[in-house]
Amino acid sequence: MFVILTYDVGVDRVNKIRKLLKKYLTWTQNSVFEGEITKGKLDKCLSEVEKIVDKNHDSIYIYTIRSTKFISKNILGNEKSFDELFL
Amino acid sequence: MNKDYYIFSHGRLKRKDNTVYFIDGGDNKRSLPIEQVDKLHLFGEIDLNSKLLNFLPRFGVMLNFYNYYGYYSGTYYPREKNVSGFMKVKQAEYYNNHESRLFLAKTFVDSATHHILRNLRRYEEVSKEVIEGIEKERNNIETTDEISKLMGVEGRIRKWYYKSFNEILKNGFKMNKREKRPPNDPVNSLISFGNSLMYTTVLGEIYKTQVDPTISFLHEPSTKRFSLSLDLAEIFKPLIIDSVVFKLINNRMIKKDHFDNEEGICFLNEKGKKKFISEYDKKLKTTIKHRKLKRKVSYQMFIRLECYKLIKHFIEDQTYKSLKAWW
Repeated sequence: MFVILTYDVGVDRVNKIRKLLKKYLTWTQNSVFEGEITKGKLDKCLSEVEKIVDKNHDSIYIYTIRSTKFISKNILGNEKSFDELFL
Repeated sequence: MNKDYYIFSHGRLKRKDNTVYFIDGGDNKRSLPIEQVDKLHLFGEIDLNSKLLNFLPRFGVMLNFYNYYGYYSGTYYPREKNVSGFMKVKQAEYYNNHESRLFLAKTFVDSATHHILRNLRRYEEVSKEVIEGIEKERNNIETTDEISKLMGVEGRIRKWYYKSFNEILKNGFKMNKREKRPPNDPVNSLISFGNSLMYTTVLGEIYKTQVDPTISFLHEPSTKRFSLSLDLAEIFKPLIIDSVVFKLINNRMIKKDHFDNEEGICFLNEKGKKKFISEYDKKLKTTIKHRKLKRKVSYQMFIRLECYKLIKHFIEDQTYKSLKAWW
């Protein structure tokens, strides 16, 4: 499935969260990650996230789309590092 | 499913923030989500350090290296996790017994022939004579009693097959003879490049299972190479590589200027390789509804399923029946 994950966390946790999410998804914008991921991997990822965040102050939104057929993505301006086959 | 990444730029690959970073010559950084990586293919000139090499096996990531011409040169692969002494002994037993080795070798060749005929029947231009010739030769597979004779049958089938390439390929692409070392014309270089990709894909799938890549049946297992992946690649070459080659050429996706010629060696340049790889990758991810599993299965998964079928065969659970595309 395809996931878009956004986060709003306290300053001292921003870097921790970003570094962790980088292992699983592609960093597309400040505090936005997206990418293809399996259910199991996402659960694993979120359980790691839970250890870092402070549930009273921070929030993490996870949008999941089962099939990528029904999303379209348009970009205005600069496209930042999007996942590609070639490097 | 995890992804393969192909690195063509020159640069440095390193571990940072517990994931993989690629820094190219122009100091552009890209991080790869390690949990989503299946294999890394290095085509460019790339520096790496032992920190990275220590990190990758934790996620079971393979590094495949290719030389300047795009030929497979080797793999750095994780410490084997799926080891099974029991399986290895069983597999070796099948190799050692002439009858059972011949049985497996025959099924590989038969399946390859099935896919060859399947390719040829798709094109009206192919003459009846060729198809009949191959069918006649196919009947000989059953009656051979020697691996070397079987290889002969296979060679003759391939000769017919490659001859009919000229009838299938359009847009001015011609092939006189299959020439491997080195390929001397565009069609040959496409096939060679494709086959080396196939080889690494099969090897990657074998590593995910318990079968031993060095004990093969059709090809003579010797030192220095993983010959079981050659055996299994035999089944998938006509099914995957050749149909990608036909598509690329006949739809004018690949043109003469995608090739470089250096002292009689013809090879794909970077643009050409990228074209080929993206088509190949698409093909591997294509899914087909499996009749027995009753779910969609990708071409890549079909390769692994062959390994599982071999395991079942070795432990005498179910006789091996090689894949014959039914769709």
